[in-house]
Amino acid sequence: MKKNNIIKLILIIVVVALLVVLPLVIKNDSTINLVILVLLYILLASSWNILGGYTGQTNLGHAAFFGVGSLTTRLLWVNGVPFLLSFLAGGVVAVILALIIGAPAFKLRGVYFAIGTLALAQMLNLTVGNILPEMSYNPDLANYQLLPRYYLFLGLTLITILTAAILVKSRIGLGMMAVREGEDAAESLGISALKHKLIALSISAFFAGMAGAAFAYYHVSFYYYMPFGSEWTFDPMMMAYIGGTGTIIGPIIGAVFFVLLKQLLVWNVGEYHLIIFGTLFILIVLFLPGGLVEIWQKFRTFLTKKTKRRKKVLLKATIQNEDGIQRE
Amino acid sequence: MLQSLGQNLVFGLLVGALYGLVALGLSLIFGVTKFLNVAHGELVMFGGYASFYAFSMLGLDPFLSIPLTIIILFVLGAILYRLVFSRTIKLPEESKIKNTLLVAFGLSVIFQNLALRFFTADERGITTSYFSQAFTLGGVRFPLPKVAILVVTVIFLIILQLILKKTYTGKAIRATTQNWEAASLMGIDIHKVYLLSFAMGAALAGVAGTLVAVNYSIQPSMGLGWTMKALIVMVLGGLGNIPGTIIGGLILGLTESTTSFFISSNYREVAGLVLFLLVLIFRPQGLFGSKEA
Amino acid sequence: MKARMSIMALVVIISLLLASCTPAPTPTPVATQAPLETQAPTATEVQYPPAPEYIEIGASIPLTGKFGSLGSQVKVGYDYAIADINADGGVYVAEYGTKIPLRLTAYDDESDPTKAVSNLEKVFTENNVVAYLGGAASGMHAATTAIAEKNKVPYLGVSFAWWNIHQRGYKYLFSPFPKSPDQARDVFKALNELVPTKEERPTNIAIFQEKTDWGNELGGLFKADAGPAGYTVAYYAEYAPGTTDFSTLIMEAQAANADMLLGMPNTPDGIAIVKQAAELGWEPKFIMLVRAPDAATWGEATGTAGDSVTMFAGWHSGENFDGIAEINAKHQTDFSRPADILVGPAYACVQILAAGIEKAGTLDRDAIRDAIAATEMMTVMGNVSFNADGTGNVLNPLVQWQDGKMELVWPADQKTADFVYPIP
Repeated sequence: MKKNNIIKLILIIVVVALLVVLPLVIKNDSTINLVILVLLYILLASSWNILGGYTGQTNLGHAAFFGVGSLTTRLLWVNGVPFLLSFLAGGVVAVILALIIGAPAFKLRGVYFAIGTLALAQMLNLTVGNILPEMSYNPDLANYQLLPRYYLFLGLTLITILTAAILVKSRIGLGMMAVREGEDAAESLGISALKHKLIALSISAFFAGMAGAAFAYYHVSFYYYMPFGSEWTFDPMMMAYIGGTGTIIGPIIGAVFFVLLKQLLVWNVGEYHLIIFGTLFILIVLFLPGGLVEIWQKFRTFLTKKTKRRKKVLLKATIQNEDGIQRE
Repeated sequence: MLQSLGQNLVFGLLVGALYGLVALGLSLIFGVTKFLNVAHGELVMFGGYASFYAFSMLGLDPFLSIPLTIIILFVLGAILYRLVFSRTIKLPEESKIKNTLLVAFGLSVIFQNLALRFFTADERGITTSYFSQAFTLGGVRFPLPKVAILVVTVIFLIILQLILKKTYTGKAIRATTQNWEAASLMGIDIHKVYLLSFAMGAALAGVAGTLVAVNYSIQPSMGLGWTMKALIVMVLGGLGNIPGTIIGGLILGLTESTTSFFISSNYREVAGLVLFLLVLIFRPQGLFGSKEA
Repeated sequence: MKARMSIMALVVIISLLLASCTPAPTPTPVATQAPLETQAPTATEVQYPPAPEYIEIGASIPLTGKFGSLGSQVKVGYDYAIADINADGGVYVAEYGTKIPLRLTAYDDESDPTKAVSNLEKVFTENNVVAYLGGAASGMHAATTAIAEKNKVPYLGVSFAWWNIHQRGYKYLFSPFPKSPDQARDVFKALNELVPTKEERPTNIAIFQEKTDWGNELGGLFKADAGPAGYTVAYYAEYAPGTTDFSTLIMEAQAANADMLLGMPNTPDGIAIVKQAAELGWEPKFIMLVRAPDAATWGEATGTAGDSVTMFAGWHSGENFDGIAEINAKHQTDFSRPADILVGPAYACVQILAAGIEKAGTLDRDAIRDAIAATEMMTVMGNVSFNADGTGNVLNPLVQWQDGKMELVWPADQKTADFVYPIP
């Protein structure tokens, strides 16, 4: 196990280092834009996963937090507030929204929570479109640079993943998972379901809001209501499921897979990637609720079992009456 | 002013009947099977396209094409049930609702993109020769296509009630709704009941789609908006409560039209959503649902 | 076990990088077998650098979605013009001493401004385009022109009436299309000329303003120009694009005794407006909807309700400029009708771009930009020149749907049919 941890650490460092030097080596903007898209989706899928995967609350209004984050940051920035301040405000306002809606929303259990959050996001989408119908332009078009935007997304993504990884190992994280497994049982153990759901929602909303803030910094021109669109909920949710909900790596795999599929299919034949992605999503929900991560694990167990069995046969053949093989 | 308000209210009620009809299928399916089919809006869309193509290619009047729409959507519903939804029936209720919700989202993504592929993103509508004809009553105008909504909704409400009350299948459906385990022990084929309810719900969505194509327009991305409306109505009327659903539709229609009149037509949909959230929080069993529904 | 997962993550990330480095599948080039003719400009031997295989042009066009009916016409116009130019070998570029064919890489953005923006970034970095051609609808151009400005790529766009974006100081933006001020001015001018007797004219205007940048601009201009032209704005209402129910607006317009409707809806909204107006028995004498009736499917979708509705789209297949007959013949073969209304302006964009490249004599974007700015040429939409803000000086014909066909009704010297008034 220890050796595994070291390998894991080395691999993470290698991946991160690769991502850090990537734009310095590949000076191709479209590659960088593509990786930014992957990072954005990882951010959204991972932050969705904190509430949807680890706490078991299917949030269909994730776009509301993403949208509020981008709206806040862009509005402040365009109106002359220093960028850093505007940027952080995106996450903060998303948390405020989460706290406002959290208590009433969590009165709703299960499916009511899901459709309630969906309605909330739709409502905000329409309202923002009514109040701010105009196009929002990047206030500093002449000095637009891709690199700082790339590193912003990279940094934010790493922080999100790290936070999620630490969170799920903590007491609070364990509480969240207990709530997912059964609210009444959790309550009987003295774990406050509402408290844990609120914490999970706030963290989830914060990173979705920060993703929105980065989106506002990245995009040259967009309509304020666009980040409130339902696709910003559904796509990351599907990614989390396809990768594997309730795991750290799942949303990452899902996001990479989504963008890869889109990249390979979209330009040729229209919107086939969504048809394939949707089909895969259904198959996973129905037959493999653990997502690709689970497929991988099953495959691995299958492999180890096979090799172990072979070893066993070998051992049996050579050393008779020996029974020292440890099984998993 | 007063006449204008009257006209608004009448329109609200007529459109509300359509909302009720859209929600009827969703409510029937949910009531019997506990499947939350949020791809319902896409089924409405398919119904609309069926009528649209029957109209534009065969010259079939949209109201005459309703039987055709029903057959197509009934078969589609049966296929969807067999292929997808039937896989969830063994799950406990809570996870069944959640899983069907997710699966249906996947379906709506697929349907939306298939529709884009085969029907293009162009907005379609059915414009009959008589669409602008209307009669006036007390200064209020009743356009025929809007009146047709009410007529069609009432007809299908009656048909549905007759099926549920008078036929063996209907009785089996009602028995299953109340207690599927008991029904199963009584020798009722749950699979068949589920299949029929799902297919009937889909067919009702198809009928609603025809009316949408006549009164509004249809396009591949219309699904979510109509699913939302159906969900609102279903929750207003109480989950799975069929007469309540129609009343819920009328309430939503009136909410929208009065919002248009007194505030702004830009907020009519927001008003519906606000109402929805309020009901969810304060009366999740619906305005007409009993506590245990 | 976790280690294996990290390996997997690594593999996936690397494969992603590889996938993004490999060239994207080539989109259908408009002309693959364009003959490369070498033209010897002078008798003296000049050493030219090797010419690129194509002059790369990029576009993001809403081929589907709410602007799909407009974008698909624009695409046809681009394709026709490029095919015509390439049939002749392409555009002569002095720097290389040869004709080089044009190649358009156009992606569908599904009427989604976010996708449009990333499409333009994509063609910029992957195809190294020398110019952008616009999509359709002001709301889409609003997003994409900023990309052109950021990347310093000349941008030509039609189906694009928003005037104010030209006042942002953009240097690379050119739009040979009638703008809001022209449209607001001409609707009253045309009406006053077409209905000479003052008593027969409509008096009370209802304006349905779409809540967008352009809608706000044009609605305001309609309002401002109405008074001086002898009209009263009796009702003015804003609505969000995508509204399905216009009954309240229509009833209020009716209550205000409006007998004329001005608006700028997208196609789906426009269809809803005229159908619901007919349902409610509102019969204005004159309807001008900029944009919505541009759709070729308007007649089919609205039936009698959409008949006699007028529009401004900068062009009509019945105009008598050089090249229109050929476009119509081709369109007739492909679509069984004369060219749609946005085909011409789109065709003209390519004509202007080709002339600009030829005049610049190089594929340098800034040189091409300067050459386009100095445009003064005859196109299929008549004579075109540009103002300093990138707006074009172009004709603004009034077109009316009559019995399921579009007819040019104003100005008189180009008209293909008489103006139908009042709406029967």
